Amino acid sequence: MTEIDPSVPSRARRGDEQAFLEIVAFYYPRCLRFARNMMGNDQDAEEAVQDAFVRVHDNFRRFREDARFDPWLFRILANRCRTLLGRAKRHREFIEYGEVPLAVASAASPVEVEEVFGADWAEEVRLALETLPAEQREAFLLRHVEELSYEDMAVITGAGLSALRMRVKRACDALRIRLTEVEQRNGS
Amino acid sequence: MDLERDETIERAAQALAVLPPSDAHAVARVMAAVRAHAARRPNRVALVVEWLRQPSLSVATAGALAAAALVLGFFSRGAFRNAGSDQSARATLEGQPTGEFAIPTGTARPASNSQEVRAVPVPLVFEARTASRVVVVGDFNGWDETQTPMVRYGTDGPWTATVFAKPGRHVYAFLVDGSTLVADPRAPRAKDLDYGGDASVLMVTPP
Repeated sequence: MTEIDPSVPSRARRGDEQAFLEIVAFYYPRCLRFARNMMGNDQDAEEAVQDAFVRVHDNFRRFREDARFDPWLFRILANRCRTLLGRAKRHREFIEYGEVPLAVASAASPVEVEEVFGADWAEEVRLALETLPAEQREAFLLRHVEELSYEDMAVITGAGLSALRMRVKRACDALRIRLTEVEQRNGS
Repeated sequence: MDLERDETIERAAQALAVLPPSDAHAVARVMAAVRAHAARRPNRVALVVEWLRQPSLSVATAGALAAAALVLGFFSRGAFRNAGSDQSARATLEGQPTGEFAIPTGTARPASNSQEVRAVPVPLVFEARTASRVVVVGDFNGWDETQTPMVRYGTDGPWTATVFAKPGRHVYAFLVDGSTLVADPRAPRAKDLDYGGDASVLMVTPP
């Protein structure tokens, strides 16, 4: 995975707005990909990414110039995603006491959703990903999609290496079971 | 190579690893939000100046506070021990002056009423690929073409600017290349076109 030239975060840290813009332009697609995969919808993902960059800008003085920028950025982004996921969960719980919107009702019955999206592998993967607990989803994405080392993942999540390995393994096991069923059903 | 990354996991990872395309508009939106947030952050020097400017520290209020402090000082030193009981002193301190030692009570205005309504930073983004110069004009900057020039992201990206407007309803537009007024396509259209062209409505809520 390519990283930005280390001089760019250093310049941004010293208040160079053009350098900060370079950072946003460079990392926006990767950040949005991670947030989308974590949150499951574009609107929340875009909010998480924007919040993360605002926080990066706010706290740049805390960034050590001798440290790598990627893990620091993803730590802030992962925190925002966790916070927004918690808020979304509370909101869902609130809705479920009242009238259940169609989208939520559909998501509550994955078998029906699979029948609708059965042909679309990417959609199947996303649905399978959504069934994972957030910390397993996060670990899986950081390891297998963002292709980060376990050491970087430890910086980002604050969890220990063995805990992270366990989360990734459990996520892979759960995804494998679910996606193998999909593959068998689709005859691929 | 991870042992857990078999063919199914590999295919899943590939499906999730598709990068969204670069989006200059989204980058501009993030930059506008960053600038707006930075402008909203309280500056310590400005806070001290603001505190010193508070009308609640007017001469009358300061005088009332000094008088209250003086009377409290007398009570604490027992100056009125013979004339009043502890009970009456407590009553006075609670704002219910007794007949014997009535304290002149001035009603200080609450600080919230005396504070000026502060302008709120609002990020604006405008798409005009062929324009060479865009400025924001509106009632919040006196429709002054020199006040709020927009900054472009890249060579053909969207234009961004942060305006400062007090809570309430505002009318504004983008002045393109110094001659054409264009309404913001992302905002409701204004009906009161007092500047002689298209304009939009900006509703600003208190922070």
